Amino acid sequence: MQFLDEIAGSVPALRRYARALTRNADRADDLVQDCLERAIRKRRLWAPTGTLQSWLFKLLLNLYRNDLRRQRRRGDHVPLEALGAEPAIPAPQPGRIALAEISRAIDALPGEQREALLLVVLEGASYDEAAGILGIPVGTLMSRLSRARGTLRRASGTEDEPRLRSVK
Amino acid sequence: MRRTGPEITEALLHGYVDGKLTEAQRASVELYLASHPGKAAEVAHWQHQNEALRTLFGAAANEPVPARLDPQLLARRRTGSHFGVPWPRLAAAAVVLLALGVSAGWYGRSAVFPEETASAILIEDAVTAHALFTRERRHAVEVAASERAHLLTWLSSRIARPIESPDLTAEGFTLVGGRLLPASAYSEAGPAAQLMYENDAAQRVTVYVTAALPDGAGDRVFTTLDSLDAFYWANDRITCTVVGDLPEAEMQMLARKVYAELTRRPDEAYRDI
Repeated sequence: MQFLDEIAGSVPALRRYARALTRNADRADDLVQDCLERAIRKRRLWAPTGTLQSWLFKLLLNLYRNDLRRQRRRGDHVPLEALGAEPAIPAPQPGRIALAEISRAIDALPGEQREALLLVVLEGASYDEAAGILGIPVGTLMSRLSRARGTLRRASGTEDEPRLRSVK
Repeated sequence: MRRTGPEITEALLHGYVDGKLTEAQRASVELYLASHPGKAAEVAHWQHQNEALRTLFGAAANEPVPARLDPQLLARRRTGSHFGVPWPRLAAAAVVLLALGVSAGWYGRSAVFPEETASAILIEDAVTAHALFTRERRHAVEVAASERAHLLTWLSSRIARPIESPDLTAEGFTLVGGRLLPASAYSEAGPAAQLMYENDAAQRVTVYVTAALPDGAGDRVFTTLDSLDAFYWANDRITCTVVGDLPEAEMQMLARKVYAELTRRPDEAYRDI
């Protein structure tokens, strides 16, 4: 069945995105499973205006946000060990940025900025695709990207560099 | 924005970092950065961020995918997804099934969530159809037993399996007629044929037949739903549910007879009932 094969092709990317959002492998896979089940049930509702992958990401994000909302209502927070656990970090660090710092800074980002940044950078979505998945205009996407990158830069301690004026 | 000199927007700088620019745009951004060290440092930092993000999170996509995330398996377990049923109907069906699962005792495959098993769905449909149509007097069937040959040809072609109407006269039941029913919201078994029988006491029994489920696996369930007894079995050709409100021994006898008539092969599944 072609539809299912196509979905299967998106599973690795969905897992990667879910893992980056949740920082918890089990929760991430739960989300992906939910997403796949929903996609399989709702396949009729998928109007092929965008790519199937975009639609899947949209479903995944909805589930993720619902999940967050539920947790917040229950007052049920992410277990400490999940927060404390830094992803296994390969030795060579890119540039001057400490991965652990970036990792923490990502966690501290507002959800909407994190969702946008990860879609573009990690998933390589085009700006149009990402905006479509997030249901926002491209201009809004760009400003979220900009704010996210600004925050990460400040957070990952580049005090030694010349402070930049905010140039328009 | 594309030749030397024109304004370099923030969006262009992001596009540069994310590899979204045309050759010409990239060239003009690079030219701009060469003479704006402050911006160049910022852009370089963004590039490092991108690398860091990919280093931190990229690996998850290369891990072997666990079976529970295999869409083929999920679709099979979800039974019925192949027909792409509109969501509201599915939601309604899920609610009903959930309620039934909670209120009714499920035997046989009771360890599995009722809304997840094909047999539970088919049984539910068979029982619903039984309750609905056995109450009817004038419209109990679409095609009456007087047109038996036509009825069976028609139903056989619609469910894509040749079926006979079991002869239950020895048990005191005669064929009233039958009807075609739409495919269940969840089921992958396609449309169903319902045959209705009646005895002298005006008690009615229905036989609900569909084509085999895609896996063609044999199965057997006895359950009570809404105070109706249902015997279900499946083989590699058909699924069949016999529904009625008779003493259990009588129901078993009827079910065994129906099974024997609808399968020409020696009975394995029902030897022990």
